Amino acid sequence: MFAFIVRRLLLAIPTLFGVLIVVFLLLYVAPGDPVQEMVGERADPETIARLRKELHLDEPLLNQFTHYTGGVLRGDFGNSYITQRPIIQDIRERFPKTLLLAGSAMLLASVLGITLGVLSARNPGGWFDRLGLGVAYLGISFPVYWVGLILILVFAVMLRWLPPSGYGGIKYLILPALALGSRSIAFLARVTRSAMLEVLGGDYVRTARAKGLKERVVIVRHALRNALIPIITVLGLDFGYYLTGSILTETIFSWPGLGRYVVNAITRRDLPAIQGSVLFLSVVFVLVNLLTDLAYAKADPRVAYS
Amino acid sequence: MDPALSTDVPTGRAVAYVFDGLTRFTPDAKVVPGLAKSWDVSPDGITYTFHLRTGVKFHDGEPFGAKTVIYSFQRVLDPKTKGGRGWPLYPIKGAEDFAAGKATDFPGIAAPNDSTVVFTLKEPLAIFPKLLAMPVTSMVPSQATDLGQKPIGTGPWKFVEWKHDDYLRFAKNPDYFDGAPKADSLMARIIPEMSTATAEFEAGNVDVLTVPDEAGKSWQADPEKSKLLQSAPALRFWYVAINVTRGPLADPRVRQALNYAVDVNTILNVVMAGRGTAAAGVVPPSLPGYDANRKGYTHDVAKAKQLLAAAGHPNGIDVELWAATTDQSPRLSQAIQANLAEAGIRAKIVQRDASSVREAARKGASDLYVKEWWADYPDAENFLFPLLHSKNKGPGGNVSFYANPKFDALVDQAHREQDEAKRNSLYTQADQLQFDDAPMIYLFFYKDMYAVQPWIHAFQVPAVFNGQRWTDVTIGK
Repeated sequence: MFAFIVRRLLLAIPTLFGVLIVVFLLLYVAPGDPVQEMVGERADPETIARLRKELHLDEPLLNQFTHYTGGVLRGDFGNSYITQRPIIQDIRERFPKTLLLAGSAMLLASVLGITLGVLSARNPGGWFDRLGLGVAYLGISFPVYWVGLILILVFAVMLRWLPPSGYGGIKYLILPALALGSRSIAFLARVTRSAMLEVLGGDYVRTARAKGLKERVVIVRHALRNALIPIITVLGLDFGYYLTGSILTETIFSWPGLGRYVVNAITRRDLPAIQGSVLFLSVVFVLVNLLTDLAYAKADPRVAYS
Repeated sequence: MDPALSTDVPTGRAVAYVFDGLTRFTPDAKVVPGLAKSWDVSPDGITYTFHLRTGVKFHDGEPFGAKTVIYSFQRVLDPKTKGGRGWPLYPIKGAEDFAAGKATDFPGIAAPNDSTVVFTLKEPLAIFPKLLAMPVTSMVPSQATDLGQKPIGTGPWKFVEWKHDDYLRFAKNPDYFDGAPKADSLMARIIPEMSTATAEFEAGNVDVLTVPDEAGKSWQADPEKSKLLQSAPALRFWYVAINVTRGPLADPRVRQALNYAVDVNTILNVVMAGRGTAAAGVVPPSLPGYDANRKGYTHDVAKAKQLLAAAGHPNGIDVELWAATTDQSPRLSQAIQANLAEAGIRAKIVQRDASSVREAARKGASDLYVKEWWADYPDAENFLFPLLHSKNKGPGGNVSFYANPKFDALVDQAHREQDEAKRNSLYTQADQLQFDDAPMIYLFFYKDMYAVQPWIHAFQVPAVFNGQRWTDVTIGK
């Protein structure tokens, strides 16, 4: 197991290096000039030339790349062009907020999605199943920004139960987590339902029922446990969606997380901020994939890594 | 929030809460004394003597004096600051060399005693006091180490906390030299999505809101909401820069045809919910130098076609119309495209993010570019000089690449002219000259619209972005 983790972490290094190269090249060929963003609407060519030199932007691509990579290897992601603050400090401040939002959305999605799926599978074709199907279609079809705005309109403006936006206690968290998790709830409900249906037809479920176990025990302990593998897969894949979905959700709900930070950085061509954030998110993504694989082994003893 | 690095409007506003300059703007865009009590100009217009207030302290207790002025200005220009916004100080003798790292000191600034600062300019510049009210020329304490995150100024509001991407909080400075603010605290919420900001206002969580353009019309029609609206002309100008160096656009007749083709009044009503005044020139009606007698280009498709034919394009022309994806640019560009098509001008819309569009336009790669200009200071010069003087081609602001020696001479002469009336008349002449040359499609001067909760009193919509410092605003039923 330990050897497996080490091997996977070592394999992550070329992946991250690839990410670094791709992001660097993309930003290099993308139109838009960071220095012009720094100087604002009215500037003189001398100032632009001077700043370009100071930021090493006048050097050949390879020099810029080695300069940046050298910094990253020393743990230095550089400073923001706009605020001149270290990028690592910005990420440290914002990522916990994104993680909180993504984590809450994931929790909400797992609890609601799996419950909905299990209950639907208990009586396929029944009224609850059909209701669940309807909810799932809505959840998958509506984009997150639309769901977000509707949630704000209903719960914050009309009912006044929750604040429309901002960052604070749990009441600020509910609406954005629901918006971000809405697609996942729907998706998980469908996956859980089909996995459960397959499992419920198994011989061991019939055996469990035959020996007189309560239906609840049959479903939770025997059936659900065996339906977990596809559910874990979906949860792991969805985490990537949470990270990208947080960009829209954070903008709509004024949530001060990393998603918004990246958007701001892109609009202002703050190159070190974009590169640093993307690299950081890639690390998170690699780690989540590893955790997903480890969770398979935990859920199914037949899966063993060595 | 470091004044030396501020380039955008939100930062500029926050800087005006915490910091003071030697001069400042009122909400109706007048220049009044700030940290300087008064100033004198030598008859030749070269030497400005500023008499400073005494006994003013920064929020951290550091006293303000003539040395602060020298420190603050050197800091803005110092290459080590990595700021790109030193130009308001470039009129001072030696400032440009100092900024370029060619000199270690600049001779144009002197402090004969602790309450007097004397500036020697390269050449006479009547608008100089206005430049000193800009965010970048604010006074900063020499002891402060992290003005970007923990700003310390002499201003009416003390900085309390900044939750990045969430809000900024300020508390009143009870010792403010011009009288403490009437409210106790000020909070600036950072809400990127306008519909969310509107929801916050409707939920009563936000006191004052800038009403988004798309909501303007429905709010005006709503009997309850319309009572909350306040609007005032802003020093913001929407126009379509015409690159005069590209193909058929080099012919003034073609550029006039573009102006005749566009139905500005309809666009103003439909796209902008009537928030603006059609422009006839670049000098806004609220500033001296504006000519009320000049009539804008009317919407006249026949005339546009006739001018195109006369310029040798009876079958029309093909142009690229560049627009950013933000603000009203996409909708404006579509409306303009439809208008141009009626006159046989086939405009292809090129839509990119703001940064890319700006870069292309500054390089001269766009034919037409829908854009907005926010004035930095209330003066006709701030429209004529950056947008159209040949010295400012490209990054300086003149993305029309307009170059007319007669126009340049008039603006240069106005720079040096000390007599207010004569200067304004030069502005009027310069504006007329370029208006006939039509290096742009003149759209409109924007009108700001704010929604103000009934419990907020004495709020005044500022004409220039950093003109409202919230010192007179009170809260109560």
